[in-house]
Amino acid sequence: MKALILVGGFGTRLRPLTLSYPKPLVDFANKPMILHQIEALEAIGVTEVVLAISYQPEGMLNFLKEFEKKLGIKITCSQETEPLGTAGPLALARDYLVDGSGEPFFVLNSDVISEYPLKQMIEFHKSHGGEASIMVTKVDEPSKYGVVVMEESTGQVERFVEKPKLFVGNKINAGIYLLDPSALDRIELRPTSIEKEVFPKIAKEKKLYAMVLPGFWMDIGQPRDYITGLRLYLDSLKKKSSPKLSFGPHIIGNVLVDESATIGEGCLIGPDVAIGPRCVVESGVRLSRCTVMRGVRIKKHACISSSIIGWHSTVGQWARVENMTILGEDVHVGDEIYTNGGVVLPHKEIKSSILKPEIVM
Amino acid sequence: MGSTEERIVAVIMVGGPTKGTRFRPLSLNIPKPLFPLAGQAMVHHPISACKRIPNLAQIYLIGFYEEREFALFVSSVSNELRVPVRYLKEDKPHGSAGGLYNFRDLIMEDNPSHIVLLNCDVCCSFPLPDMLEAHRRYGGMGTILVIKVSPESAYQFGELVADPVTNELLHYAEKPETFVSDRINCGVYIFTPDIFTAIQGVSTQRKDRATLRRVSSFEALQPANRSLPTDFVRLDQDILSPLTGKKQLYVYETMDFWEQIKNPGMSLKSSGLYLAQFRFTSPHLLASGDGTKNATITGDVFIHPSAKVHPTAKVIGPNVSISANARIGAGVRLVSCIILDDVEIQENAVVIHAIIGWKSSIGRWSRVQASGDYNAKLGVTILGESVTVEDEVVVINSIVLPNKTLNVSVQEEIIL
Repeated sequence: MKALILVGGFGTRLRPLTLSYPKPLVDFANKPMILHQIEALEAIGVTEVVLAISYQPEGMLNFLKEFEKKLGIKITCSQETEPLGTAGPLALARDYLVDGSGEPFFVLNSDVISEYPLKQMIEFHKSHGGEASIMVTKVDEPSKYGVVVMEESTGQVERFVEKPKLFVGNKINAGIYLLDPSALDRIELRPTSIEKEVFPKIAKEKKLYAMVLPGFWMDIGQPRDYITGLRLYLDSLKKKSSPKLSFGPHIIGNVLVDESATIGEGCLIGPDVAIGPRCVVESGVRLSRCTVMRGVRIKKHACISSSIIGWHSTVGQWARVENMTILGEDVHVGDEIYTNGGVVLPHKEIKSSILKPEIVM
Repeated sequence: MGSTEERIVAVIMVGGPTKGTRFRPLSLNIPKPLFPLAGQAMVHHPISACKRIPNLAQIYLIGFYEEREFALFVSSVSNELRVPVRYLKEDKPHGSAGGLYNFRDLIMEDNPSHIVLLNCDVCCSFPLPDMLEAHRRYGGMGTILVIKVSPESAYQFGELVADPVTNELLHYAEKPETFVSDRINCGVYIFTPDIFTAIQGVSTQRKDRATLRRVSSFEALQPANRSLPTDFVRLDQDILSPLTGKKQLYVYETMDFWEQIKNPGMSLKSSGLYLAQFRFTSPHLLASGDGTKNATITGDVFIHPSAKVHPTAKVIGPNVSISANARIGAGVRLVSCIILDDVEIQENAVVIHAIIGWKSSIGRWSRVQASGDYNAKLGVTILGESVTVEDEVVVINSIVLPNKTLNVSVQEEIIL
């Protein structure tokens, strides 16, 4: 079975993290973002994944080869030379996706994390016999997104409404699709929107069905949602009683710690914290609602909340880092420094406090 | 030896990527020494100035960048100016004098009688032939280029006190807290090969001191005593300062312009200074036009031959620099800006006090401007590579990182 992941371009919303790595390789819960999706696909028998990209940075291919070997799945890149929108890349990758077997293929959006109930989706797709299935998720504020209006019992999609001003429904497109190869015949190789052009056509012919996504969903393409997403993800690990979560007197709530990381005495870690490989958390440190990437050192008595600490950075003794502070790669926050929402580009030293949200270049 | 042919070797310190992030966002796409000022790479200006020295044998660029980042430039400038230019990569920081010492064998290969040392990120008229003559008259080991600045701003630099008659350097203070002198160090020097002996002396002295001295724990905390590695030698504090008043060092004062190019805003100011200089030294490089067959040009403007400027555009100087393959549409107004390669500026747009990055696109009737305060963080609007400003959008006093599209107006913002 095949799958396409819409990766897109420069990931500018996730800067400064994406100044060091391309978005698919930025770690989330101690694993490159794209690996979450590739693993979910591999688990249900997908043998080939196509990454639809618009920009291929140096070094990305090497990472992909590593994943290929480790997972035993084929990974290819389909690179657009001009922007093709959300549907055009499927036409571009047609030859990879259609192999004559008539099997449907998955399309995932790379910024999304969820439980990926892909097996259930396959069964749903078989049962309704339509041409396309999409996952929808319930949200509190639907008018920020594209709302899918569907018939409750069968899931048949009636129409899409983009950012509706009046309430028409609370289910939005979750960015996970399962399409029959015939759907590709509807997509031309030009800038095309899957929500505005392709799906409405299929819905009109009553061949589009929506399934409500069980479990959590988040678009983690920007730092605030990344932090919320980690909470949802760790929560779902808890529900599955995953052994990956840490336990102990110094742990509150859901916390993920890589086995190569070390945590000193007298620390209080959690809730909703991920600590990456080879991190060193010295004694007396308080961490909550934050991500600490690979190779970071947090010095004694520091306190970090609601922030992301980029690869190989250091946070000084008694430093306080909070309120959506995002440190890029190799950023060194001095002892006793306070940062309130500082967004710091890679390779910087912070020697004076940042009292209100500010970008440090 | 009896040879009347005195050979000169020039060394230009170009710095490197780890040193300072103040040139972002432009330095995200190009090494600072290669950023164009008045249509030529920043380092091209001191290189051309060196070319004016009689008997110049070789130019070395010393820095921390990878060799491949300079390969193309070095071969092209060597060809263009017909002078051997070579880039040397430092393996680790040695300090401003240590770097020079590190490559002394190469530098001395041509048996030069004098070594010219320049910092790449200064914007200057580089009066090297006159300075060399003065240096010969003084007969010392080194001559330092100085310029007079306002007393209030002098503290940012190295301040020098010189004898008004003999021009001998009597005192040197690096960034002093109280006022010492309004003559400051321009970062341009001429030395005889004795400089290497002086640098070695400092190195050896430090080695000996390290093995002999035992300091009290309080002393050890004082910044001056914090031991530097023995091969880390700073030109100003370790060499020049101790040699004052010993008839070894002299100053030569320039009355022309001088600026330090630390941030993108200053590169716009420097570009203007070089354009004004071209008016006297190389007027054929500047553009002209009166709105009939070509666009209207006022003041000092550089337009690359491959750039296309619509005849109804009004390119107002002073200080507009348009790089290769840029396209300037009808009715566009440009004031005080650097337009980099492959930029497209569409009809009736306005750009004032800005740097527009490579391949960017400025929409119709859009406005990209800033206050023009070169020292303010957001005083010059900077658009990184491949930024799109859509039609009618206004961008004021902002910095935009590469690959962004602006479809709403912004003011006083940094957009990642």
